[in-house]
Amino acid sequence: MDSKIGNFFESVGHFFSGGDQIPWCDSDIVTGCEREVAEAGKGSSDELKSECIMRLSWALVHSKRPEDVQRGIAMLEASLGGSNSPMQMREKIYLLAVGYYRSGDYARSRQLVERCLEIEPQWRQALTLRKTIEDKITKDGVIGIGIAATAVTAVGLLAGGIVAALSRKK
Amino acid sequence: MEASSSTPEFDYLFKLLLIGDSGVGKSSLLLSFTSDAFEDLSPTIGVDFKVKHVTLGGKKLKLAIWDTAGQERFRTLTSSYYRGAQGIIMVYDVTRRDTFTNLSDIWAKEIDLYSTNQDCIKMLVGNKVDKESDRVVSKKEGIDFAREYGCLFIECSAKTRVNVEQCFEELVLKILDTPSLLAEGSAGVRKNIFKQKPPETDASTSGCC
Repeated sequence: MDSKIGNFFESVGHFFSGGDQIPWCDSDIVTGCEREVAEAGKGSSDELKSECIMRLSWALVHSKRPEDVQRGIAMLEASLGGSNSPMQMREKIYLLAVGYYRSGDYARSRQLVERCLEIEPQWRQALTLRKTIEDKITKDGVIGIGIAATAVTAVGLLAGGIVAALSRKK
Repeated sequence: MEASSSTPEFDYLFKLLLIGDSGVGKSSLLLSFTSDAFEDLSPTIGVDFKVKHVTLGGKKLKLAIWDTAGQERFRTLTSSYYRGAQGIIMVYDVTRRDTFTNLSDIWAKEIDLYSTNQDCIKMLVGNKVDKESDRVVSKKEGIDFAREYGCLFIECSAKTRVNVEQCFEELVLKILDTPSLLAEGSAGVRKNIFKQKPPETDASTSGCC
């Protein structure tokens, strides 16, 4: 019984987490990147600083903690307006797409990933992300249908029960 | 790869890691192994991974292969992903001498610093042998390096797929030969409390009457 329940939770967990191909980042890595940014604040070159910030935003949007992801998105959105080389720009757009994907905003994420692929159609990380988003949207659609179907069945059973009860009364 | 919702069955889960200079073909090697594809690729941002299921030595294996950015600006990030790896693949480009010399200057040191696994299997891979006329690092040099650092060695081409499967196979077979790594990768350990059901005890079989 235990193992059955375990299997069930595992498969449901796998279903929801999607077993996707986007890496996770542990909180100690985030902490490490944060320390780097703080240290770089003390009179390092702008280039070094922006590299540290780049790593921190990578870590944040890949983090398991939703609040980290939100912070990563905010950091990236804020830095998009600044002066960016085309390379930096597309990296930031990609990371933003990861952030929105992890926060569940699939529409926004997909929009951004399409922009990445306009810049570089063969960009495999962007292609993987697009596939992951599409799978997720499909699955959520299936879950939505499942919930609706369950509701219909429940209503049906209830109605059937009432009819049965009424007919028995006669 | 496929979006299956069923729980994959496997005996062991191994974490493998690809490291080496930017542009040596780590991602191409991974892609060549996992999806038969080879393209001219854009540099990896941070880290990336792919999962591949294989059956080797009669065991069903799930390989989580981590691909790291070779660019220096990502190094502090990528170094965090060494921990827990049972196999590390150091890749260089046989047509670029600097990618070979950086193995001892940078990559072997990174392993010493960040790998958490004493018994972790290391493998040296010389990529791009399809460009034989541009070769500047001889096979002999690769063999000598591997001997000095105690790693496995193979030369391959992600483009033509020569030796690509052999590369991963040799590494995994060696991991399967190492009891401590086997214990770490065993499904029972990984699959935690839920999956692991103790064998039926006498008490439960002879419980009634």
